[in-house]
Amino acid sequence: MSTPSTDTRRLFDVHRGAGAPRLASDRTPPPPATLKKWLRDMMLIREFELRCMQAYQDKKIGGFCHVYIGQEAVAVGCVAATKPEDPLVTAYRDHGHALARGMTARACMAEMFGRIDGCAKGKGGSMHMFDKPNNMFGGHGIVGAQTPLGLGLAFATKYEDEVMQNGRNKRVTLCFLGDGALNQGALHEAMNLAGLMDIPVVFVVENNGYSMGTSIHRGTTMAHDLKSKAIGYGIDAAVVEGMDVLECYWGMKQVVDDARERSRPWFIDLRCYRYKGHSMSDPRKYRTRDEEEAWESDDPIGKLERYMLENGVVTESETKDMWKDVKAEVRDCVAFADASPMPEAGELYTDVYMEPWGPYPGSSRPTFMGGAPNTPSFTAIDPKGEVL
Amino acid sequence: MPISVTMPRLSDTMEAGTIVRWNVKEGDEVTSGQVVADIETDKATMEMPVFDDGRIAKLLVPAGQSVKVGTQIAVIAEEGEDLSVAASGGGVAAPKAVPAAKPAPAPVPVASAPAAKSADEDETVTVGGQRIRVSPVARRMAEEAGIPLSSLKGSGPGGRIIKRDVQTAMENASARPAVPFAQVAAPAAQALAVPVAPATTRVSGGLVMAGLESERVAVSGMRQTIARRLVESKTTIPHYQVSMRFELDRLMAMREQLNTELAETGIKLSVNDFIVRGCALAMARHPYVNASWAGDAIAVHKQVNVGVAVALDESKGGGLVVAVIRDADRKSLRTISSEAKTLGEKARTRGLSAEDMADSTFTVSNLGMFGVEHFTAIINPPNSAILACGAALKQPVVRNDELTIGFEMTATLSSDHRVIDGAMAARWLKELKGLLENPATLLV
Amino acid sequence: MSALREIEFRDALREAMTEEMRRDQRVFLLGEEVAHYNGAYKVSKGMLDEFGPRRIIDTPISESGFAGLAIGAAMQGLRPIVEFMSWSFSLVAADPILNNAPKMLYMSGGQFGCPVVFRGNDGAGGQLGSTHSWCVEGMYSNVPGLKMAIPATPDDAKGLLKTAIRDDDPVFFLESERMLGMKGHVPEGEEILVPFGQGRIRRAGADCTIATWGRPVHFALEAAEALAKEGIDCEVIDLRTIRPLDIGSVVRSVKKTSTCVVVDQSWSFGSPGSELAAQVHKHCFDDLDNFVHRVHTADVPAPYAYNLEQEYLPNARKICEAVRAATYNA
Repeated sequence: MSTPSTDTRRLFDVHRGAGAPRLASDRTPPPPATLKKWLRDMMLIREFELRCMQAYQDKKIGGFCHVYIGQEAVAVGCVAATKPEDPLVTAYRDHGHALARGMTARACMAEMFGRIDGCAKGKGGSMHMFDKPNNMFGGHGIVGAQTPLGLGLAFATKYEDEVMQNGRNKRVTLCFLGDGALNQGALHEAMNLAGLMDIPVVFVVENNGYSMGTSIHRGTTMAHDLKSKAIGYGIDAAVVEGMDVLECYWGMKQVVDDARERSRPWFIDLRCYRYKGHSMSDPRKYRTRDEEEAWESDDPIGKLERYMLENGVVTESETKDMWKDVKAEVRDCVAFADASPMPEAGELYTDVYMEPWGPYPGSSRPTFMGGAPNTPSFTAIDPKGEVL
Repeated sequence: MPISVTMPRLSDTMEAGTIVRWNVKEGDEVTSGQVVADIETDKATMEMPVFDDGRIAKLLVPAGQSVKVGTQIAVIAEEGEDLSVAASGGGVAAPKAVPAAKPAPAPVPVASAPAAKSADEDETVTVGGQRIRVSPVARRMAEEAGIPLSSLKGSGPGGRIIKRDVQTAMENASARPAVPFAQVAAPAAQALAVPVAPATTRVSGGLVMAGLESERVAVSGMRQTIARRLVESKTTIPHYQVSMRFELDRLMAMREQLNTELAETGIKLSVNDFIVRGCALAMARHPYVNASWAGDAIAVHKQVNVGVAVALDESKGGGLVVAVIRDADRKSLRTISSEAKTLGEKARTRGLSAEDMADSTFTVSNLGMFGVEHFTAIINPPNSAILACGAALKQPVVRNDELTIGFEMTATLSSDHRVIDGAMAARWLKELKGLLENPATLLV
Repeated sequence: MSALREIEFRDALREAMTEEMRRDQRVFLLGEEVAHYNGAYKVSKGMLDEFGPRRIIDTPISESGFAGLAIGAAMQGLRPIVEFMSWSFSLVAADPILNNAPKMLYMSGGQFGCPVVFRGNDGAGGQLGSTHSWCVEGMYSNVPGLKMAIPATPDDAKGLLKTAIRDDDPVFFLESERMLGMKGHVPEGEEILVPFGQGRIRRAGADCTIATWGRPVHFALEAAEALAKEGIDCEVIDLRTIRPLDIGSVVRSVKKTSTCVVVDQSWSFGSPGSELAAQVHKHCFDDLDNFVHRVHTADVPAPYAYNLEQEYLPNARKICEAVRAATYNA
């Protein structure tokens, strides 16, 4: 009845520089346990985002809130193609990446609520999810600003290999951006440097077709072939399917392995769609309901669920239980966030500087990391310099 | 349980919304994410999804009507629930009207200089209807030297009296008798060294014992302040002391257990942290201990700010400061502990800011770490009481009429009799005893 | 003898970087022309030979890209030194250096610090015109989360830069092209680390406090000598760091002198100088004999013509005038 997910409409379309070796394509389906994990991760993101919308509407969440519904296969498929020690950095639509990377729903939701048990003690908010133990180097709020940072993370892994420990780790950095960031100068400087310095960073453009309300064709040249943006910087590029987690994983796996092996950057045009608005106050008048429905009928969660049912990986009652389980987990994280205290007033002045001075008492880790104080490795301020 | 659907906040500035159209009617099945209504906000017309599966039991607000964000607008019955029961509100949690926002945290204290002067103190002084222009330092010097401003002629711009003018006047008046030795701590020098001391107070002279051989050690600004304030306290406040013994077996056991569990977080609770918490909680029922004598009234404080006396290292000049843990009755043991630790550390290394030492309403002094059994302390004005705590000593004790080994501590409350009578002090100590001897109460 | 060794300001900067790179493999230098060209101002001369291209890294003219690269590398645990050929060029990297570096620790709730040093020439070079003559301390010191050091002599340049490299927070290190050739005594082979937040009394005096930092310290000392002949005894305090600011030293001095002149080579509106003046007014209100006088660059874009540029900058003459006015000797 339903289309097998291997029969995708959007093929893996790749551009290589001259002399690059063939990519090792491997389309072996992952083992059942892996498929189940991916399905559950995507369900968790979907349910988490729904409840974020609800909590936002209930005024529990403030500021801006950008939900990831529709794009779940991207975060889950890309993360599956990397190793846990590979750095990951992204833009402001970042809850999905944080959860896929292993941040607990509790730490994530408490951050959304602006509470002390949030991943950043309630100081970062929706757009700034950080998780050091899981090598998640943030959501970043300024469009494109994270691209030089991603370059730097990858530079550092390479530097550690070459200067400090003789090529032991070979990590690859995933640097996500939206299609709106294609038009920011920072990305182009980052791509030039990455190409020039052989930096193992993968710039993943989550191309959902719209930067806020501006469709990609109205904002970007060569929108029909974004690979051309990278070719000018000597960077290999590919189009990867983002509405199908298996396709996304198979495509990204080849790319990430190649970046790791050759210490080279990549640029990925990852095709996907956000079902909801840019933010919570977006009435989506710039696109048609027909367009939305066409994409929603291609839902990545439903697609994987069908694939697994047809291949006997799960039964219907099992998927029902998985939904129940995920809903319970998200209910729990909302209750947890609601019960977590607001940061005490004194927190206003912590974490401004590592080293205590003047009105700044220093810094400590968030509660999910144990809360211990950060001890500066070197004390540079003379106590006599203290005000009065 | 039926699910309440409320008017959602669909933009960051939206306060009310109008239901343009319902896309469902009562009895319809709905699924999570389904758009059930169009809502007109202050910015645009938006779709309103629901977040749960079930059936519409009731639409409470008709199309065209505007209601505030948070108002209940529909009820969803979950799978297996009776529609009519759900519609009648059976079990529906009261509409989640604008969720009660938690009280905003208290304004954050920002380190600042000691109390600013009142706004109406202008730099221009009026004498006999004549405006006198005077620089701040010149005014202060003239005041200290007892020279009326009206007797001075200003040489600054617009006739402003400046430092030089006062100095000249003082030199001209220096034919006065020599100042006695004991008053050599001249006001100007003192003000330089002790920023916290109001310029008008003068250190009273001590006796110099002529017959003894002794080394004169210069007195630090802090020592002068301590001397002045404690003389003032001991001589103007009618002190009296009440002591009580506290059984600390349970507290010591709990402390050991908590410290083992918290070891990894770097938190180590001291006995004093428990005492601070206990004292703060005891104020709830005995607010008169958390008060100050105000001349013609007693100021009962609404905040409980517990001062902790910190002794400074003698190698660095010694001295004593009081670090203040603000709102100690509203802080957890853990927060009290970490604040006390941070402040203690800061006092010993960099020195406390004026803010760190201001606004205490009660003080705890603890010499337990030296093995002291019992002592009394001088009240730290404007407090009305101070608790002097000895060590929690392991000793033979009587428990249930049997001689056994346990921990006991003696603590002595010094009180200002103008504010606290003996029985009041005793009742407060009894309250504290109850708290410290049942330490679980300190955790909640 | 080594104890009297005199070296140039640029040599002192190089010694600081070289010593720290030998001591800590995580430290590296990147920027335009730092490697093969031996540094546009010869500060990094010879460092490529010692450390190789992996640690002394030439970048293209791409400030936003390489400043951001350094911040990412610092989040991952390295300790980059970024050389801006001129701080004027840092403006195109404003987002990474102002929006990322100083806020990362805060926004991540204490997870990711940013131990990076940005350094380069600040202030008027010599007839470079307006776009190349920025004193960025005026704008950048407004941002909490960063530290800012502005040395005035070779020994402080070395000691402050070594401290900056070891610091766990981002440090903006402002040098002056006009001072790179200045010679001064820097002891050899000693572990000199100048703490942040501690001013240095360059000249003791009783009548007027002159508080300043960086290149104007020398103008202030010149002015103080001239004023001494008129019987006005100035105390010159070199603050050395703007964040943290050693207000304590200034307050102690002003309580003694009752007058204060602040000299700052950035524009007056919303500057470190205006902040310092406000703090002195707050802490010394009852000790002041006059309001705090300030000497800044003129409130106009930097001109090209030689005579106009001289008139634009703070100098000894302007400082003398301010001190006379502040002490009622005008």
